[in-house]
Amino acid sequence: MRTLIFVFLFMINAVLASDQIPAPAQTKPILIKNGSLHTVSHGVLQDTDLLFHGGVITRIEKDIETTNDMTVIDATGKHVYPGLIAGVSALGLVEISAVRATVDYDEVGDLTPEVRANVSYNPDSEVIPVTRSNGVLFVNVTPRGGLIPGQSSLMAMDGWTWEDATFQHPTALHLNWPSMHINLNRNSKLTVREQEEKRRQRLQDLDNLLEKVRQYQTLQAGKNSKQIKDPGHDLRLEAMLPYVNGEKPVFIHARDVRQIEAAVAWSQKQNLKLVIVGGDDAWMVTELLQRHSVAVLVEGTLRLPSRRYSDYREAYALPAKLHDAGVSFCISTGGSGFAAAAVRDLPNHAAMAAAFGLPIDIALRSITLSAAEILDVSEQLGSLDIGKDASLFIATGDMLEITSVVEQTFIHGTTTDMSDKHKLLYKKYQEKYQRLDFMSD
Amino acid sequence: MKNAILLMLCTVIISGQTRPLSNLNTVQPRVFMLQNAVVHTEPGKTLDQGSILLRDGQIEAVGKHLKAPVDATIRDMGGAHIYAGFIDAYVEIEAPANPQNPRSSWSDLVHPEWVSADNYQANKKQVKARHKLGFTHIHTVLDSGIYRGQSSLIALNEAATISLPSVSQVVDFYRRPRGSGGYPEALLGTIAVMRQTLYDAEWYATAKAIYAKHPDKNEAPDEDISLASLAEARSLKTPFLIKAKNETYAQRVFDISNEFDLSFWLLGSGYEYRRLTEIARSKPFIILPVNYPSEPDITDPWRAAQYTTAELKHWDMAPDNAARLVGTGVDIAFSTSGLKELKRFRKNLDLSIQRGLSQTAALAALTTTPARYFGLDQTLGKIQAGYQADLVVVDGNYFSADNPVRSVWIGGVEYPVNPEPELQLSGKWKFTMEQMQGILEFKGKPEHPHGILTIDTSKFSLKNIKLDGTGISWSLDLTKSDLHDAGITRFKGSLFDHVLQGAAIYASGKKHNWTARGHIATDKEKDRPRATSSNLHPTYPEGAFGFKQLPEQYRSVFINDATIWTSGPLGILEHADLVIEMGKIKQVGKNLTAPKGSHIIEAAGKHVTPGLIDAHSHTAGESINEGSQSITSEVRIQDVLDPDDISIYRELAGGLTTIHVLHGSANTIGGQNSVIKLRWGSDAHGLVMRQSPLSLKFALGENVKQSNWGDHNVTRYPQTRMGVEQVLRDAFTRARDYQNSIEIHAKQTKWRKRLIPPRKDLELDILVEVLKGNCRVHVHSYRQDEILMMLRVAEDFGFTVTNLEHGLEGYKVADHLAKHGAGAATFSDWWAYKFEVYDAIPYNAVIMQNAGVLVSFKSDSDELARRMNLEAAKGIKYGGMTEIEAMNTVTINPARQLKIDKWVGSLEVGKDADFVVWSKHPLSTQAMCEQTWIDGRQYFGLEQNESMLKRDAQLRQALIQKILSSDEDDEQAKDQYKEHPRPNPDRDNLYWEQGVK
Repeated sequence: MRTLIFVFLFMINAVLASDQIPAPAQTKPILIKNGSLHTVSHGVLQDTDLLFHGGVITRIEKDIETTNDMTVIDATGKHVYPGLIAGVSALGLVEISAVRATVDYDEVGDLTPEVRANVSYNPDSEVIPVTRSNGVLFVNVTPRGGLIPGQSSLMAMDGWTWEDATFQHPTALHLNWPSMHINLNRNSKLTVREQEEKRRQRLQDLDNLLEKVRQYQTLQAGKNSKQIKDPGHDLRLEAMLPYVNGEKPVFIHARDVRQIEAAVAWSQKQNLKLVIVGGDDAWMVTELLQRHSVAVLVEGTLRLPSRRYSDYREAYALPAKLHDAGVSFCISTGGSGFAAAAVRDLPNHAAMAAAFGLPIDIALRSITLSAAEILDVSEQLGSLDIGKDASLFIATGDMLEITSVVEQTFIHGTTTDMSDKHKLLYKKYQEKYQRLDFMSD
Repeated sequence: MKNAILLMLCTVIISGQTRPLSNLNTVQPRVFMLQNAVVHTEPGKTLDQGSILLRDGQIEAVGKHLKAPVDATIRDMGGAHIYAGFIDAYVEIEAPANPQNPRSSWSDLVHPEWVSADNYQANKKQVKARHKLGFTHIHTVLDSGIYRGQSSLIALNEAATISLPSVSQVVDFYRRPRGSGGYPEALLGTIAVMRQTLYDAEWYATAKAIYAKHPDKNEAPDEDISLASLAEARSLKTPFLIKAKNETYAQRVFDISNEFDLSFWLLGSGYEYRRLTEIARSKPFIILPVNYPSEPDITDPWRAAQYTTAELKHWDMAPDNAARLVGTGVDIAFSTSGLKELKRFRKNLDLSIQRGLSQTAALAALTTTPARYFGLDQTLGKIQAGYQADLVVVDGNYFSADNPVRSVWIGGVEYPVNPEPELQLSGKWKFTMEQMQGILEFKGKPEHPHGILTIDTSKFSLKNIKLDGTGISWSLDLTKSDLHDAGITRFKGSLFDHVLQGAAIYASGKKHNWTARGHIATDKEKDRPRATSSNLHPTYPEGAFGFKQLPEQYRSVFINDATIWTSGPLGILEHADLVIEMGKIKQVGKNLTAPKGSHIIEAAGKHVTPGLIDAHSHTAGESINEGSQSITSEVRIQDVLDPDDISIYRELAGGLTTIHVLHGSANTIGGQNSVIKLRWGSDAHGLVMRQSPLSLKFALGENVKQSNWGDHNVTRYPQTRMGVEQVLRDAFTRARDYQNSIEIHAKQTKWRKRLIPPRKDLELDILVEVLKGNCRVHVHSYRQDEILMMLRVAEDFGFTVTNLEHGLEGYKVADHLAKHGAGAATFSDWWAYKFEVYDAIPYNAVIMQNAGVLVSFKSDSDELARRMNLEAAKGIKYGGMTEIEAMNTVTINPARQLKIDKWVGSLEVGKDADFVVWSKHPLSTQAMCEQTWIDGRQYFGLEQNESMLKRDAQLRQALIQKILSSDEDDEQAKDQYKEHPRPNPDRDNLYWEQGVK
């Protein structure tokens, strides 16, 4: 009954809201009773209760006694999941990809390591509640374009300001590995040799850049000594220091096998913490990735095979192949501006991997705990465990089935507004046809 | 009388000469007796020890024991081989730079009136290079435009005699460079212009004729020399030479030729072997290039991965193409077209001969066949009395690429070919100088040999080798030899009486004589491995996942014990069976019996659905947008279908069987769409679903007003949604007027033959079909305002909008859609990629459905189209469709929208046996498509996919091994490019990332 009232109140709220209101902080303990808890870390617990308070999961056990100060939600027959995490996305940096004024993910220049995603994350984007509505509660918002587009930030899908919404910053420096493709067509403007030379030059430039960063660091460290003149400041080089020193990871976007190989070799040489983003061809070099403990952030499984003669299952089966070879990986939606509006489809990407060979529990892990590990937030996020952040949701069924619907999400224990632009318009036009008495059912 | 003729022949003939003489008259010998030759009088006929008598530019006699007349200059040919002069059957020359003439076609790409000979300027180097290959004539064509004018046959003599100014009308599927502006800009429009121009020429001829008789009754038609020229070509039955850059283009040529009953020739591509049967069927005359691909660059496995399987195969199979074509009885001629270096011509021809092309066939392709087709078989192509004195003299058999052409004769005049170096050094010589003895060995090309002097075990490389007539010089570093005081020694010598001899000048300046004798020549023939023809066969389509042969249609198929989603009145049947006979559904229900000899599919625990249907796709469209004008309703997707598109296979693997291939959305009235079945392996014709009614694409909103095309595209009407409406109203008003004028003309009984009929207009013809209700109307649209506008325009002109395409705000005007009777093919959940889809919601489908609108989910994406069952599942997630309703959105609903539900879309008795076997509940993400069937033929199967993967991987490995073991000469290996990349199907659709949405 209490649940019913709760749900009812929520519905009213949804209908009346002109926009979604960020949720207030959790003041009362919330008990989710009798759900199927998909803990990710230790399997599925049937008919189990989960209690969270102060934004943190405090108890997971059967039959937790209710107290008066609790909000109790009956989740019998329902499924409870940790919030899903998308590892790379332009969400919040773009509203409508074709409208330039709303595009904020690509700063001018080939090298912009200094820019950080979270400052231009629009917390009022209509895309955020839509994304949240399907259980995706954290998104690693990532700049795009050029050789080094900038630094990404892990954002929670609720908050009044970008500062509220920032869960972790920075998560990584992003680098788009230069194309290693050689145009073999005789109509190509450059000969093969010219192309090879150009490619070599691009890689040399990368080495030079890192050398420059390290030199800058030396100069900065010694600038107060008498021997070294103050070199002045350089925001670009400054921004790269923690990454060049191996303190924080560099996410190298690489799809072709030659890019992946070269990126691994380069990161080894330069002592960088490497994560491969994209990794379409990663299945060809699993041994290399495994040997160097390089994780792969798979940029969606719902994409076309890379070559005409590739198996039609190539992208679907990539996660299974990585898993079988012992390579760490997670699955995200794509990072393009176009894909920013489709982050809610994240579970479908994992589901497809499961249909094509990935164990289904690993599929769920690939969009929760594995993603948290790769983004270095697995202490707080990614599983239903005591002490972890209470960012989770209740769904009507298995979230790896499209037909399941998310009923309620919680971020840091807060009960988020479940309406979104789509649901509001749905209500609005249901109203229109009800007035016209036009609905056939 | 006879005497008179003889007298005439004996008189000096100067009447052929109109140019005033600018110097004293000269006399050149005009009678030659060529003796002691192997005379190839025509393909397959050879005269040993033959003689040829030439007189006044013609062959007077050929025979074994000809007696030389007194006035003949006698030449001993020393056993050389003599052939009739060769014809290079396709040579492009530059078109006029400033093409526009006020009396020519409106289009800068249409110039049937041009004559290529008028633009020919002999280039000495080019002429000499062709002499060296044995060519005496070239068939020239202009190099740009769609209608490129008339080809000409030109002799490669001093005067560049035009043997025949107008041989054929040349046509090309020409496309302007992207973004250069002007109609047409895509293959779609090119084909439409080809067709419309032919109709225009017919109309123009009629109009001119009527006007000539009845000038008082008619308005004078505008002068148009282009159409006049084309009309003349049609009435003279001039052949149309059409460039077909691959086997699919060849079929397009056949289609156009059939429509207009053209006599046609093909400029082939070398890819004909891929659809040999289909191409041979119409017995075309094909002019073949011999520009075979160079060796793929496969040593680096990752670079090798860039080559498609078809490309690797083509490297192996291209040289076999000619022999395979000849084997089917097709007539061919050869051309040098497409060769980067002319001198490769003979090497490649040689390769084709090694691969099984007979020398007789090769000679015919160079001589009699082109002569016959060009209408000159009484004068060209044979060595026979009365033929022109056009000859090729070769030191040996021409079809062994090492035997040099000595000279060509054109019109009885000899053109010597730059002689090969006279020193044939290759091989080993015994070298002597002072007390030193050694072996001197020359290797490599005769004109650039390299040499090594071996003394005992020491080897010295010859440097700076220079050949000069019979002389040779080089330098040699002898500091490390016994003659160390010789230092770097210069050698100079010449060949005399089979002995190389000369002097060496030591570092000191001292001279010593040397000799090299006892030449043991390298046996080239023995050294060279003979290539054997490829043991590969094309698959259908060529390349990965192609079929060896098309899937068999079983007499009967029985599906046993499945959960059958009928998408029909029977709903979902559990533990049910399906009987299929000759590609049609015979029975659906429980406890059926399998007809005898059925192919049985055991399906316990499995689900069977109708083949899925995608109402909005661009798969298999080689060209998508003819976006150059606001109305291009004349263009047709059926003209540009690409049966090789790998997406066909990938979509089959997701259970899709029928798709609606649409024109893009770059303009208000785009073009005519096609419904195809995914019959992988068939040719373009085989894909088409013939029962589908006509279908036309319209588009509204941002794309047609070019909102997202950048700041340069701001001048085309319309730039607003207001303008879009007016474009539509104007078009349909014009169509109505056109229809009226046709009807009025048809009703004239007394006057009809005296009045110029309305010009057939392909653009308006299809709009008339819309007005008559014979053509489906598919409208790319998003916002409710434009949707409503479209409905009103249609209502005003009395037709019905069949389907909104996307229709993402259809939910806002669902009541109006229902009243109008329009359906909607919509995205399940795409939104926010441009401003007009900011209000798109995933509940769109369910709202429209509940309001009584026929709704389907569609892909508009080669990727999404592989999992339409999961798109259907979103209908359940967003708004709660039932499972049956959800499945219907990708089966019977799109079938009804496309008006093909009589044949497909549900598993009902009498319909086509198009079905999918799923491993699980088909709306589950965990379901896998196991089998896909069309017309009772299995086009996809998981096991078949496995075996194809294995087969293709083995094939790639075998080809790579073959490439690695091939001994292509240095020259070709140096070529860093693939010689002949297959043109990529050019998708014009993407003006920006998701341009066609």
